[in-house]
Amino acid sequence: MEVLLQLILNGILLGGLYAMIGLGMSLIFGIMGIINLAHGDLMIVSTYMSMVVAMRFSGNVFIALLITVVVMIIIGFLCQTFLINKVIDKGPEPPLLITFGLSIILQNVLLLIFGADAKNIPTRVSSENIVTTPWFSISEIYLINFVISIVVILLLSFVMKKTYFGRAIRATSGDIVASELVGVNTKRIYAYTMALAMATASIAGLLIGMTFTYSPSTGTQYLIFAFGVVVIGGMGNLVGTLLGGIILGLSQMVGSYFFGTAYQLFCGYIVLLVILTFRPQGLFAGARK
Amino acid sequence: MALTKTNNAAASVKIVVLGIIVILLFTLPFWAPENIVMIFLLIMLYMSLGQMWNLLAGYAGLVSLGQQIFIGLGGYSLAVITEVYHLNFLLAIFIGGVVSVIFVLIISQPIFKMKGIYFSISTWVIAEALALYFLNWAFVGYGLGFNIRTTYEMSTSFLYYLSLVLGLGSVLLVYIIMRTKRGLALMAMRDNESAAEVMGVELYKTKLTIFLISAFITGMTGAVLYLNISFIQPYAAFSIDWTVASVVIVIIGGIGTMEGSIIGAVVYVILKQFLYDFPGISMIILGVIAILIILIAPKGIMGMLHDKFGWEVLSPRRSPKKLMKMIRF
Repeated sequence: MEVLLQLILNGILLGGLYAMIGLGMSLIFGIMGIINLAHGDLMIVSTYMSMVVAMRFSGNVFIALLITVVVMIIIGFLCQTFLINKVIDKGPEPPLLITFGLSIILQNVLLLIFGADAKNIPTRVSSENIVTTPWFSISEIYLINFVISIVVILLLSFVMKKTYFGRAIRATSGDIVASELVGVNTKRIYAYTMALAMATASIAGLLIGMTFTYSPSTGTQYLIFAFGVVVIGGMGNLVGTLLGGIILGLSQMVGSYFFGTAYQLFCGYIVLLVILTFRPQGLFAGARK
Repeated sequence: MALTKTNNAAASVKIVVLGIIVILLFTLPFWAPENIVMIFLLIMLYMSLGQMWNLLAGYAGLVSLGQQIFIGLGGYSLAVITEVYHLNFLLAIFIGGVVSVIFVLIISQPIFKMKGIYFSISTWVIAEALALYFLNWAFVGYGLGFNIRTTYEMSTSFLYYLSLVLGLGSVLLVYIIMRTKRGLALMAMRDNESAAEVMGVELYKTKLTIFLISAFITGMTGAVLYLNISFIQPYAAFSIDWTVASVVIVIIGGIGTMEGSIIGAVVYVILKQFLYDFPGISMIILGVIAILIILIAPKGIMGMLHDKFGWEVLSPRRSPKKLMKMIRF
């Protein structure tokens, strides 16, 4: 029983990290209506970037994160302006295939530079428990992940609701022709959205690096997690994203309790497929209104 | 009158050239060195993969990112039937196709409810789930996989002929499908789904048929690919790399054309062989080429040739007279 309690707790906390992973995807999907197949790889690129900056140059994770966020924002802006915006009017397939090509390139560039070995970003918090009771314990890094993702989600909700920038983004996703009529440069807004998504992806990337091991090929796995979170939570719904992350985390943890740890990821994928079958619009779609 | 004559002359030149190519391909092992035969073997198999992905994405509008499902099922059918049951490998190749068809029948109900991007990602998630399942399945030896020993005594030329049959067979199959009424329905569906449905195209049935055909051929191709590789392991068998190859081949050659997959497969295999010692670099180059082609010439090499010079070797189009006969109710 204690084991199950611990797993449920871990599942919820892990869900925070998954929500963080899915956040960027949710923005892109919700506002542009496209799936960025390179999202997982871009996340892992930012993980490697944080690792290099933190271990080679600064020695401080926060400075590494700051530098990574800035670089990833620039990369996101350039990718959107010079690649995806060029084909975004031509139906759903070209953007999908462009980002697929991007994903192939990024994965192999990482493989070329860093090799296929699994790596991690060692920090003091990675292995310590912050709360230890006879019944359960809370891992420090899991709690940090959860808190950071909630803070980021709240911050993002605030930006989306209260600022001009957020209103312009929401207008673009609502009615593209009307927003162009009132003077919103929608292509530019798409580029900003991608930059914003990359900022959240680089935070997620650092958290992944501190929590788990990673290698150039793990991007695929996190892409599917991100997609899962978006599908379960309903696209473009920020609170739904958090709930989606928690459901995905819980289904993995509870699945590992009943079927063994080997089936942890498998259970997550099956839950995702079942939800896709019965409610492809997401469990919490429409909850925002 | 003069126009018909030149058309006829062009048509007969086309037939002669195609005939010579086919004869050259069939006699290849008798006059070419073994490494060239090996390259053509791979071209044939990748051509088949490209054709089948093109049939789904280019003609039926089903952008599958889960072709590795069928490669993996085909490869594992081959491994299990020859290694565990010690039966004939030709039977195994056929069963590889049949298992893929059965699997599609199982997943078709939920998966056809999903549209567009949802369909694409779901096929990928299913492939990842299958990889994890095979990794934990004792019957297929967990992650250790199998050595496929039945290939050890096979000659390259024998494997080449198997691949040739699959490669040319897949081209012929797509050509025949596109020339039937179903092919017409397919292209109508791709261009405008609701208009096609109003005109009497059964969307679900047409999509399912195409997905089944594609799964059958891809499954058999997977089995022959693993006859060639002779070692199977879940992560490699269900790897997204198979879909990457198919997508890159079709995009380079030209999506929605039959010749595209042929050109794409030649480019893909030769580039891969040329940079054999640097697998990462060849993938980066292919990725860059694919992106550039989508940006500059979305119809691929074949589409570009068609627009500029009117080249078309295997056309899905028919003469207007024949077309009227076909769509008459």
